[in-house]
Amino acid sequence: MWQKTRPYLLLLPAIGTIVLLFFGGLFDGLLKSLGYFPAIGETRFEMTAYTNLFQSSEFWESLILTIRVAALSSIFAAVLGAAIAVSLFMLKESSKSGASQVWHRLFQLPLTIPHLVGGYIIVLLFMQSGFLSKILASAGLIDEITDFPVLVNDPFGWGIILTYAWKEAPFVSLMIYPVLSRIHRSWRDVARVYGAGSWNFIREIVLPVMLPAWTIATFIVFVFTFSAFEVPFLLGVTYPSMLPVYSYQLYTSGTLADRPEALAVNIILAALTILLGLVVYYFSKRWNVLKGWD
Amino acid sequence: MRSPRRLLNSILFLLLFIVIGLPFVPLILSSVSFGWQWPNVLPDSFSFRAWEYVLADSSGTWSAVGTSLLVAFIVTAVNLLLAVPAANALVRNSFRGKWLMEAIIFAPIVIPPFVAVMGIHLTFLRLGLTETILGVVLAHISPTLPYMVRAIMISYNTLSVDWENQARMLGAGPISRFVHVVLPHLLPGIAAGASLSILISLSQYLITFIIGSGQVVTLPILLFPFISGGDPAIASAFSLLYAGIAVLTLLGMDLALKKYYQNKKAATAKG
Repeated sequence: MWQKTRPYLLLLPAIGTIVLLFFGGLFDGLLKSLGYFPAIGETRFEMTAYTNLFQSSEFWESLILTIRVAALSSIFAAVLGAAIAVSLFMLKESSKSGASQVWHRLFQLPLTIPHLVGGYIIVLLFMQSGFLSKILASAGLIDEITDFPVLVNDPFGWGIILTYAWKEAPFVSLMIYPVLSRIHRSWRDVARVYGAGSWNFIREIVLPVMLPAWTIATFIVFVFTFSAFEVPFLLGVTYPSMLPVYSYQLYTSGTLADRPEALAVNIILAALTILLGLVVYYFSKRWNVLKGWD
Repeated sequence: MRSPRRLLNSILFLLLFIVIGLPFVPLILSSVSFGWQWPNVLPDSFSFRAWEYVLADSSGTWSAVGTSLLVAFIVTAVNLLLAVPAANALVRNSFRGKWLMEAIIFAPIVIPPFVAVMGIHLTFLRLGLTETILGVVLAHISPTLPYMVRAIMISYNTLSVDWENQARMLGAGPISRFVHVVLPHLLPGIAAGASLSILISLSQYLITFIIGSGQVVTLPILLFPFISGGDPAIASAFSLLYAGIAVLTLLGMDLALKKYYQNKKAATAKG
C-alpha cells in the first residue's frame, strides 16, 4: 500500500501548489472571461468578451504583430546562435586548452541579463539618436538624426526583435552545442582524407547533425517570445501592441467592462501556447533531441 | 594560405565583440556621462552623478535590492522543499497518471504565468494578499518551480538506489541516508535549479507589479520608470547595477559549489 501511494504523496506538495496557484488562476481567469463574477452579481456565462474580440481589428492586428515578431526574433536568434555554437565547436576542435570553456562562459552572458536591461541596451544602441547613429554620423555616413531608421518603439517591432535575437542566441547555442560535441575528432580526419575543407565539413556533417536540436531550440524561442511581456512593453508602440501588452492595456484601462476581454485575450494566448508547446514536445520526442543517439 | 585557426579566432573575436562587447559600451558610457550630444561618439563630459544618486540611500535602491533578494530567496527555499520529493517520485517510480503529473508541473514553462496571475488577482485582492511580500512570493512560485524540479530530476537520474540500500545495510536511518548519501549527490542539481529560480524571480516585472500593486518595490519595479523615458544616465547606472546583481548571484552560487567540492576533496584526502 505504501509503495503504491508513495509517489503520489511525494508529489502532492508540488502538484498542490501548481494546481492551486497556477491552474486555479487560469480557471479563475477563464470564468471571469466568460462574465461569471459572483462578487459583482454576474452569475451568467456568456461569450460577449470573445465575440467582441474576434470582431475588433485591434485584436487581429495584435495577433499578426505577435506572430511576426516571434517568427523574426526566433529566426535571427537561430542564425546568430548557430554561428556562435559552430565557431565554439571549431575552436574546440583545433585547440586543446581550456580556452573554449572561457569563450563558452562569455557567450552566455546575455542569458543572465534581465529582460528589461536587455531591452534598455537595445534602446541605447538603436534609437535614432543612439550609439550606432552617433558612430555612423561621426563616420560621415549620415547627416541628420532622422537619417537613422526608427528601430525602437516602431510599429513593426524591430526593437523587440533585436532584443530577443540578442538575448536568445546564447540559448540556441547552448541547446546545439552538446549535440555538436558528440561529433568525434576522427570524423573530421576522415572528412579531410576525402578532401573536404572546413566549409564542406560544416555543410555535410555539422549542419545535418545539429538540425533537429536547432529546429527545437528555434521553436522554443518562438513560443517564449510569443507570450513575453516586458520587452514589448518597453520597446513597442501603444498601437498595435503584442498580445500580452494588449491584454495588459485592456486590464488596466480602468473600466471593469474591459476586464473580461483582457482575460479572454489571456485565455486565447494560453490556448495558443499550449498548442505550440505540444508541437515542440511531439517533434522533440520523435527526433530524440533531448536524449541524442549512441 | 592563412591558417584556419587564425581565421576562426578572428571570427570568434568579431562575434564576441558584436554580441557581448558592443552592447555594453553605450550602457557604461551613458552611466558616467554628463550630457551626451548627438553626433559625438563619446559623452561631452564625465561625472559620477548618476552613480551617486543610484547608490544613495534616498533613492530606495538598497531597499529594492533587499526586497528583490528576499523574495528570490524565499521563493527558492520553498521551491526546494517542494521539488526534491517531487523529483524523487518522478524519476524513481512509474505509476498511473505520471504523464499528467509531469504535464501539470511543467505547464508554467509553456503557458505564460502572467495569465494565471491576472486571473487570480481579484481573488488575491479579496484575501488581502495583494501589496504584500507573501503575495508576490506566491506569484513567483509557478514560473520558477518547474525549472527547479527539472534540474533536480537530472541529478536524481544518476543516483542509484543501490547506494542508499548500502547505507541502509550499514545501519543509516532515513535522515542520515538523506543527509549523507542523497543530498551531496543532488547538490549540483540543487545549485543549478536554485540559480535559475533566483534569476527568474529577480527578472519578474509584470506579475510583481500586478500582485504588489506598486507597493512591493523590487528592482525591476524601481527601474522601469527610469528606462521608459527617464534620465538616461540614471537609467544606465540602475541597469548595470541590476544586471550586476543577477550575474553576481549566479557566480556566487557557482563558487560556493566549487568550494564545497574542494573542501570535500580535502576532507576525504585527509581522512
